[in-house]
Amino acid sequence: MGSSNSIVLDRSEIDDIAKETNFTSGQIKRLHTRFTSLDKDNLGYLRKEDLSTIPELNINPVRERIIEVLINDYGIDGRLNFKQFARVLSTFRRKTGVTGSNSVDSKLRFIFDVYDRDKDNRISRNELMSILGMIVGDNLPDEQMNAIAERTILELGLPLETGITYEKFCDCLKKIDIDEKMSMKFLA
Amino acid sequence: MSFFSKWSSQSSTKYIKLIYFSFLCLYLITKRVYSATEEVIGGEEKVITRYQVAKFNFEHVSDVYAITLWILLGSLAKVGFHLSHKLTEKFPESCLLIILGLVVGGLLYATKLAEQKAYVLNSDTFFLFLLPPIIFEAGYFMPNRPFFDNIGTILLFAIANTLFNTLTIGLTLWGFSFTPLYGGTEFEMLHCFVFSALISAVDPVAVLATFVEIHVNDMLYIVVFGESLLNDAVSVVLYRMFDAFADMGTSNILPVDIVLGGTSFLIVALGGVLIGIVFGILACFTTKFTEHTPVLEPLIILTYSYLSYLTAEMFSTSGILAITFCGMFMKQYIEFNISKKSNATIEYVLKMLASIMETIIFMFMGLSTISDHHSWNTGFVVVTLISCTLYRIIGVIIFANIANRWRLLELKITDMLIMSYGGIRGAVAFALALILDESKIPTKKEFVTATIAVVFFTVFVQGTTIGPIVKYFKIKRKEIEEPTMSAKLTNRLIDHIMSCLEDIAGVAGKHSLRDKIRNFDRGYIKPFLLREKFLSRDEKLLSTFKKITEANFNKMSENPSFMFQSSQSMAQLNTFAAYRNQSIGNLISSGTLPFKFCDANNQWLTETTTVPDFQILNSVPSKRADEDAEFHHLLDNAMYDARRIQKIHKRSQLDEEIDPFEKNKRNAKKYGHTLHHQKPVNLRSIIEPMGGKKRSVSSFQTPRQSTDKQRPKAKSSEPRPKIENEKTKETEKKKFFIVTTEENNSDQSFNTSTQSPASPANLDTNMPPPPWKTSADDEEPVRASMPSWANNPEYTIHATTSKPEDKTRKNLFDVFDQDAQKK
Repeated sequence: MGSSNSIVLDRSEIDDIAKETNFTSGQIKRLHTRFTSLDKDNLGYLRKEDLSTIPELNINPVRERIIEVLINDYGIDGRLNFKQFARVLSTFRRKTGVTGSNSVDSKLRFIFDVYDRDKDNRISRNELMSILGMIVGDNLPDEQMNAIAERTILELGLPLETGITYEKFCDCLKKIDIDEKMSMKFLA
Repeated sequence: MSFFSKWSSQSSTKYIKLIYFSFLCLYLITKRVYSATEEVIGGEEKVITRYQVAKFNFEHVSDVYAITLWILLGSLAKVGFHLSHKLTEKFPESCLLIILGLVVGGLLYATKLAEQKAYVLNSDTFFLFLLPPIIFEAGYFMPNRPFFDNIGTILLFAIANTLFNTLTIGLTLWGFSFTPLYGGTEFEMLHCFVFSALISAVDPVAVLATFVEIHVNDMLYIVVFGESLLNDAVSVVLYRMFDAFADMGTSNILPVDIVLGGTSFLIVALGGVLIGIVFGILACFTTKFTEHTPVLEPLIILTYSYLSYLTAEMFSTSGILAITFCGMFMKQYIEFNISKKSNATIEYVLKMLASIMETIIFMFMGLSTISDHHSWNTGFVVVTLISCTLYRIIGVIIFANIANRWRLLELKITDMLIMSYGGIRGAVAFALALILDESKIPTKKEFVTATIAVVFFTVFVQGTTIGPIVKYFKIKRKEIEEPTMSAKLTNRLIDHIMSCLEDIAGVAGKHSLRDKIRNFDRGYIKPFLLREKFLSRDEKLLSTFKKITEANFNKMSENPSFMFQSSQSMAQLNTFAAYRNQSIGNLISSGTLPFKFCDANNQWLTETTTVPDFQILNSVPSKRADEDAEFHHLLDNAMYDARRIQKIHKRSQLDEEIDPFEKNKRNAKKYGHTLHHQKPVNLRSIIEPMGGKKRSVSSFQTPRQSTDKQRPKAKSSEPRPKIENEKTKETEKKKFFIVTTEENNSDQSFNTSTQSPASPANLDTNMPPPPWKTSADDEEPVRASMPSWANNPEYTIHATTSKPEDKTRKNLFDVFDQDAQKK
């Protein structure tokens, strides 16, 4: 909506976003404040550098991947405007139904996308390795990581070459309460 | 070794029973002698005897002897209970202790060995000595974040629910006095209300004792436990109010009295909190100056907190609230002021005190039951029991639904069930019942009996069955089933992702109350309360680090092209880095370290070196040569912990921090084999010769926890020798770190470092501080957003799928030692 460069939100935009994401206007305003505080150069959109400079993320091992996911998957051309920002965050509201941007399926999809960077709808061994590498860091040597990655795929009964499909992925996460784990409290 | 353990487990219970029995006898004998000597002393004449070489002087030590013996008995009892798994599975500790007290009480009563006054629970003793340590320990270790997250619910329950319970139970009890159920005993209305005031309060001691053992999820635990702590204010006010009203008589009460009662609640509650915080501030301020007297620090903390309790009681406010908030407040700041050893001491002392007092309380309850204070009134007892349970359930349902309106994580039916079932009454109610004035309240004995009945019922019946009920309803327990590796990995990934997203979204936004408090805290409170030289502690760390590395360098200065790293010094560096919440690179570039670091590829560590989060799991690999389990454990052991994982501490175990060496000794006994290493293992990712991957500085620990990580022995030992033989010295060197000091004499060792790529030199001067860095940030440890008891390994033992028994542990330092030998 031609508003990618505006710093101030107007009513129609808020309503737009609210309709799409089901955030309340208070929450949207707060998110916008956050957005503008991250957008230090006042460009109206966020880039990788803006997100990388958040201090609390320093110690998070997956931050680069998440930032990449946010900017590339939800933004355009390496830019994330506010609407997209709000859209991606709305995935993490508590679920209000079986469908919608905050449904359990969307949350699972988000995680799957974190793994699956080449977008072939399956998690290959290399993708698994790269995530494993982030989470495990240097605590394991390469061979062991490799072995773990292979084991992970084989454990689900899938052949090594295919990798983990989305369905299998959701299946193995059945026992985890995804909605509770992946919800954030958005203050108004 | 295994034989020993088998033998000990089988006959341990018998063995322990023998010990008890002997101690019991000893105890009874001392009591007997005591009372005997009392009689004898009376009518002696002065008879001159020859000089006595040795005398049996019992009365000199009798009181203290009895008390000490009593404490010892309780502790032995606890030790014994825990040796027998079957017992502890079925019954909470509190039950067993009460039974022990009952037994001893029965013996004493039957044999009339001691006066009843001597062993019946004295309310003064209880309120002045027994209760404060438990409450302080609870407050000190209270996980602040979940507590304040749920504060609305907690307050709602503590105040409204207790009030509701008091009124309804009181009315019911009084109502039934018009029926023939009570067998003719008259219960006046106000007396009934006094009784209901003391009986409706959930007891923190009992809740602690029960809930910790059943491992419900933390949120539930916090809500019930918080309620039990905070409702003290309400119940104290109500108790005193109705007591005073009973004094005045029903006809003399004016509405203004009730209003006054309401305001007194505010004074009691807020006054207590205020006093607690004032003393907390005083304590923190005092510790600012105790740099040179670290030995006094634990004492200071304990005395200030105890004073807060006494002062609050002096002003007739709630001592429990005072000491709770004192503890909670202290925790935030004192940690940084006092030395590490003092920290550990405090932790240990508190746990010890709390444990002892709890033991004594429960034993006393059993003991005091067998006394003459009772008058059994069946109708009254039954009505009390039923109304307590019933109204608790109703109250919980009502208020949980009210709370659900604003809660993010709603309380489900199963949560409500646990909350109502977990409303256990305990010693506080009992003590309050005992101090009722019989002249004013003639039915005191019935009240005492009914209180005991309720306490026993809740502790025994509810305490015992709550475990199975939790299991039956599949209440969300702390452990999450992670059957597959992918689930496990993804689970952890989700934690990291959510952590990341929360930070991006700034969900704890700039303007939220929490942030405001944090800013205020950072701006005013911290500078006031924390030591000026915040770095002083760090300097000590650094200088130790320096010494060690210098020693290391001196050791191998004959071989200038070779360097190795001391794991301990790296561990300390990591600890330091974690403490300052910066990556090693940051530390270097900001110039706080007199060292330079580069990783094995001669790349200087920069700010972008990701420093991962906390370490985790002490999950122990299974002995089964099953590949599956091993991989699981490999994964478990290696994954970084995400910030969001929060755990509750356990009274009986220390947060694994100080001495992994000790822990290994313990484990050695537990698992029946000895471990080889003699050095404390601090770091997880020490040089691992197999694999041969380059290592940069990674895996750090916060000062609060170190895990010593052990790898599964089975698989890795085989390929290891092979790989080592293949390695040349070159590749081995590559894995090590080059640590340089600027003032080091043996310059030869550092030839390579000075020839290193240009970047190191540039690093110091040209690297600007990251834009977000403010000086204030330096002092905010990572822990600030997370309670410091997090990552308690106790939790993670449940988190893995392996059995806790039969493990082998690979000795990481075998690896290290072999390498060292090779040099």
